[in-house]
Amino acid sequence: MSEFLELEAQDGIRMTWNVIPGTKQDATNCVVPVSAIYTPLKPNSSIPVLPYGPLRCRICRSVLNPFSIVDFVAKIWACPFCFQRNHFPQHYSSISENNLPAELFPQYTTVEYLSTAETGQVPPPVFLFVVDTCMIEEEISYLKSALAQAIELLPDKSLVGFITFGTYVQVHELGFGLLPKSYVFKGTKEVTKDQILEQMCFFLGKAKPTTGVIAGSRDGLSAESISRFLLPASECEFVLTSVKSSIIEELQKDPWPVPADQRASRCTGAALSVAAGLLGVCVPGSGARIMAFIGGPSTEGPGSIVSKSLSEPIRSHKDLDKGSAPFYGKAVKFHEELSKQLVHQGHVLDLFACALDQVGVAEMKVAVERTGGIIVLAESFGHSVFKDSLRRIFQSSDNDLDLSFNGIFEINCSKDVKIQGIIGPCTSLEKELIAGFDQEAAATVMARLVSFKLETEVFNNSPDETAYFSMMLNRENVANSVVMIQPSLISYSFQSGPEPVLLDATAIAADRILLLDSYFTIVIFHGITIAQWRKAGYQDQEGHEAFAQLLQAPQEEADTIIKERFPVPRLVVCDQYGSQARFLLAKLNPSVTHNSENTPPPGGDIIFTDDVSFEVFMDHLQRLAVQ
Amino acid sequence: MRMPDMPCIMPPNALGHGMTPASTPKMPYSPHSQVSTPSKIDPTQIPRPIAERSVIIFETRQGGQAAIPPAASSEFIVKDTGNCSPRLMRCTMNQIPCTGDLLTTSGMPLALLVQPFSLPHPSEEPIQVFHLINCINTEYSQQPYDITTKLSNMETNCISYLYILMSFAGFSNDTPREYFCNLGPDGRRRDADERPELCRGTVEFIATKELMVRDPMPAVYFFLIDVSMNALNTGATAAACSAISQALSDLPEGPQTMVGIATFDSAIHFYSLKRAQQQPLMLIVPDIQDVYTPLQTDLILPISECRENLEQLLESIPNMFGNNRVADSAFGAAMKAAFLAIKSTGGKLLVFQSAHKLLQPVDKNLKTMALEFAKYQVCVDVFLATQSYVDIASISVVPNTTGGRVYYYYPFSALSDPAKLFNDLRWNISRPQGFEAVMRVRCSQGLQVQDYLGSFCKRVPTDVDLPAIDSDKAIMVTFKHDDKFQENSECAFQVIMLYMEAREILVPVPKFLSSFVIECKELLSLTDFCCIFSVRCYTTVFGQRRIRVMNLSLTCTNMLSNLFRYADLETQFTYVVKQGKQLDQVTSTCINVLQSYRKYCASVSSSGQLILPEALKLLPLYALALTKSIGLRNDGRLDDRSYWASIVSSISVVLAVPLVFPRMIALHDLILREDDESLVPTPLTLNSENIRDDGVYFMENGEDGLLYVGNSVHPAILEQLFGVSSAAVPNQLVLEQFDNELSRKVNEVVNEIRRQRCSYLRLRLCKKGDPSGDFFRSLLVEDKALGSLSYVEFLVHVHRQIQSKLT
Repeated sequence: MSEFLELEAQDGIRMTWNVIPGTKQDATNCVVPVSAIYTPLKPNSSIPVLPYGPLRCRICRSVLNPFSIVDFVAKIWACPFCFQRNHFPQHYSSISENNLPAELFPQYTTVEYLSTAETGQVPPPVFLFVVDTCMIEEEISYLKSALAQAIELLPDKSLVGFITFGTYVQVHELGFGLLPKSYVFKGTKEVTKDQILEQMCFFLGKAKPTTGVIAGSRDGLSAESISRFLLPASECEFVLTSVKSSIIEELQKDPWPVPADQRASRCTGAALSVAAGLLGVCVPGSGARIMAFIGGPSTEGPGSIVSKSLSEPIRSHKDLDKGSAPFYGKAVKFHEELSKQLVHQGHVLDLFACALDQVGVAEMKVAVERTGGIIVLAESFGHSVFKDSLRRIFQSSDNDLDLSFNGIFEINCSKDVKIQGIIGPCTSLEKELIAGFDQEAAATVMARLVSFKLETEVFNNSPDETAYFSMMLNRENVANSVVMIQPSLISYSFQSGPEPVLLDATAIAADRILLLDSYFTIVIFHGITIAQWRKAGYQDQEGHEAFAQLLQAPQEEADTIIKERFPVPRLVVCDQYGSQARFLLAKLNPSVTHNSENTPPPGGDIIFTDDVSFEVFMDHLQRLAVQ
Repeated sequence: MRMPDMPCIMPPNALGHGMTPASTPKMPYSPHSQVSTPSKIDPTQIPRPIAERSVIIFETRQGGQAAIPPAASSEFIVKDTGNCSPRLMRCTMNQIPCTGDLLTTSGMPLALLVQPFSLPHPSEEPIQVFHLINCINTEYSQQPYDITTKLSNMETNCISYLYILMSFAGFSNDTPREYFCNLGPDGRRRDADERPELCRGTVEFIATKELMVRDPMPAVYFFLIDVSMNALNTGATAAACSAISQALSDLPEGPQTMVGIATFDSAIHFYSLKRAQQQPLMLIVPDIQDVYTPLQTDLILPISECRENLEQLLESIPNMFGNNRVADSAFGAAMKAAFLAIKSTGGKLLVFQSAHKLLQPVDKNLKTMALEFAKYQVCVDVFLATQSYVDIASISVVPNTTGGRVYYYYPFSALSDPAKLFNDLRWNISRPQGFEAVMRVRCSQGLQVQDYLGSFCKRVPTDVDLPAIDSDKAIMVTFKHDDKFQENSECAFQVIMLYMEAREILVPVPKFLSSFVIECKELLSLTDFCCIFSVRCYTTVFGQRRIRVMNLSLTCTNMLSNLFRYADLETQFTYVVKQGKQLDQVTSTCINVLQSYRKYCASVSSSGQLILPEALKLLPLYALALTKSIGLRNDGRLDDRSYWASIVSSISVVLAVPLVFPRMIALHDLILREDDESLVPTPLTLNSENIRDDGVYFMENGEDGLLYVGNSVHPAILEQLFGVSSAAVPNQLVLEQFDNELSRKVNEVVNEIRRQRCSYLRLRLCKKGDPSGDFFRSLLVEDKALGSLSYVEFLVHVHRQIQSKLT
């Protein structure tokens, strides 16, 4: 087991089977498919960075690696995948058993190449903010300060763009002349790239080329026309974030009136379509993210998820199952198209959805996931889950953010194995190698993890939450995925050091502190005695240092977890019998309920639920399996 | 040659045309002489207009009958004694034929020209305003605009000035007690003569709340400026911005005056001005196929809240778009978008358009659009400052349907035109005007309204909707018989207009003309000189909804000779002008009338002579002038003709005649003349014999002012007038005032003419030997020109045609 963890630590890879089945039949018999879970950009300081380009097999284009068989005399290497023999090029001529290039060192199973020859000049990253304005003033002011903070954290050379939307989409010119300007697009229509080119004056003073692809400064657009909308962060501080009369400072609630019985007119789809078009026109193929900040459901134009009338509720899982969600199919289709466009352009969609109601994550999921975007779901733009997550994105590193763009992920495998599909925040570029995308495969891989916790999936969740959870599940590494499915519970007490305990109601005791990590939420739960001591303030008194330490320990652990995790989890600190305690109780196995015969141990707790306990469930399962 | 002493007819005129019997023109013509030698006609004896110099006092009714109004062009002071002022309403004939057959026989039209807000003479009594007593049945209050429904339900055959109010005040049961009065033996109220509302031809009522379809709206002025490449390069954008900026000060201050602005090229740029102490925000609407207004509020603001911001914006627009290279100009889409921005209130949309390449939508869409504008009470004025073809025929549909008009500056000159643009705009927004008007014309039983013509929108057959109506606009109403009248009975016409007061229509209007200040003023660097109309502002209750009722009652006759005797030449001619007929139709209309007169009214012995009815003796001359006018000439530019057609559709009688038959005066001898007291010298006959090579002449038609300079004008005169001794004066003329008497006089005269015409006049210099000189000469209507007849030849032609018809 620890072996696997080490492997994951070094290469970011973990496989369902660490022995490959010999035949197709064997593989079928395994039930759980042969698969690998890989975190491509797992931070690891021990990975060597090589200042030259990779050496590729001339047939299958796979890269020279420690598993290649090298003939040092003939200066030939054999590709381990297709067994093609390749000659080393001139600059490898001094190669010998004692003089190996780093990529052939057995311990360097993962290496990074840094090569300008292959990639050319790396263009600066682009951040296009797409901001919803259909919210109450309070939310807008939270969002304003978060955005201002985020933009100040951007590296100077990165390019910034700004779009707001409500009833209409407004693309703000950041590099304007005399007056602040914005282009206003109707919320009811998708906007194509061609329309953007045409309508936003990209051909000023020039005839539009009649043929060929027009996009970016390399292909016919002047740098000035692009810099109207995408400006280096260092130059747009005044326009965007200065305290007086900057665009962010002036952000206002969408001015169109909303009747009392209606939802705000919010054209999220049109805004994303404009944003994608704009990036496609200005910076195709170079790293760019659309960062969408959304405060409610889309009700206008393409991709809308619900009608404006408040008498019509937002779709639930039930509606989806019954097929009575009239907007759903269309909206998903719209976002699929959008994701295709973004993937084609090499751009990312990040989603920050903060609302009490659903905003349509279920529909937008596909666009975020396929472009490898980030998603954060919170109740309010004032909530720490949102604020801290946003800050985390931009804070992580000194100069370059820990965001990488426009990656291409190639998988090569030995001759007798074929790639069946890929699940995760990416999209297949559909080279012939890859047979296609198979949703089925996803469910099967996860089946290993989900073995007994299927109930988390739908029960008590909105489709948005379900989508959110499944997205996080699909993108996280194995350790975190497991936490998501089966939260970890650690007990702190004077009797023993921190120890994992069963996720069960019986874990609760008056003199214990419990630390629950369910990935999205971290709960610190003080048993009733501890809580009373804490209230009395013993921890601050002399002679009670041990108690102070006991209180401190789970807090520290929680901080560590929070620091490492993205999106930032919600931290709940609560006491036994307090109202917040429900965050813990909901996750525990209800072995002791108000119905059960066995009484809780002294200081314990009962859970008011009609759900069956794990024990009952297992009994039932065993009975079924035997039958 | 025989000179038969047969005069051309008619007893001495009682018609106030200023003709004395002695001047009755003779049309000597010998049937035996060769027609091809018209030189035998004495050119000095043929009829020509004679200016009336004295001021006439005109009482509208005398001795229980309608009096015959003086010529529209003369100066007169009206005393309303039962009929409305002829300035407000004129009929083509001052006696009404009893039957339709009689009218057909006469060959003359029966039409009214209504100019509801015409400027009064300063010495005239103002129109009296009354509160509407509560005598309108509440059953009609549900349809506020439908006061006219109520009115039309009443006895239509109202005699004399016993009009509407009489009807429901005197005869209906719901007369308020305090208003009740016994009737005299004649069926009239005994107090009718004491009560102005019962004895005046024109009265005005303040509408009660029940008559309002909605609360009074603010007066909205939305400016829409072309900023495409062409407009910027020619200076049209700068001229528009500076004109608007200066004209802003003429808008009434206060929360009820609201303004907004947008610019356009291939996209439409709105400006949110509601940013105190901050720059306006530009909002660009790029999708011109499907336009929309980007904000619901903040695009239109009370002028008091945004004046500074707006002025700054106007100043920066020419620079801001300085290097704009967009050649396209989305005129239609921009209008539509601006309309959407002011749809909820209605108001005036002032469009400054320049580029020649017009984008969608085209003609048919413009008509649909115009109807929608009118429906939402949006009036469009289009200022076309251009140097190329812009298809005025299509464009003019919009202003002509919404109560606006086209202003045309071609070829636009950044030197001379900004001053005119400014003055046009200024007059446009400061002249007396009303918004949200609806008008209906009714007449006595026996006649019915046939059609309306003018700058308005007609959605139902009986009413005319006018998003805006101003003092310059006239509406023509034609009638046809549906029954007979008794001889000597009276036929009444009544115009009822419900409108929202936009500004200063309120009485009293004391000395209106004297408050017209003409002054010279330093303006922008572009305009060295500018003439300013200043209308005194009266404190008015803004947004009052009023009903103006104008009544005219005329005697009916069975006598054809009476019809000719009481014909109103200027009104009839205006009718012909507005009919938009073809060249030959104009001539044949003229011939038909004269032939009818010849056949039924002239004595048998005069068979060999061309006989003209006294009242219509100038009809041939005017008809000839019309065939040579810009609008009918074949050699003109299409846009010039379309423009002409667009302005005549709403032109008033008093301006229609000079537009076709211009006034020419000599300028070089201005300081020498002593004969006359009036400022403007006696007009010269329009033939080249009057043009001397050493003379300087001024010809104006209310639109253009042409300054003609002969070949051998004394350099001193040139120096005095233009500041240069040679004829190197540019054609685009800026008339400066220099420090000498001649220059002062000329400026005085030109300013007086501007005042008379309520128009700044587009000045051009015409030089002999130059195409401009040829153009000037082509306007000398009595001259023979290529493809057209001289006045004498035309008379011969008319006579021959009549002769051949008679035989």
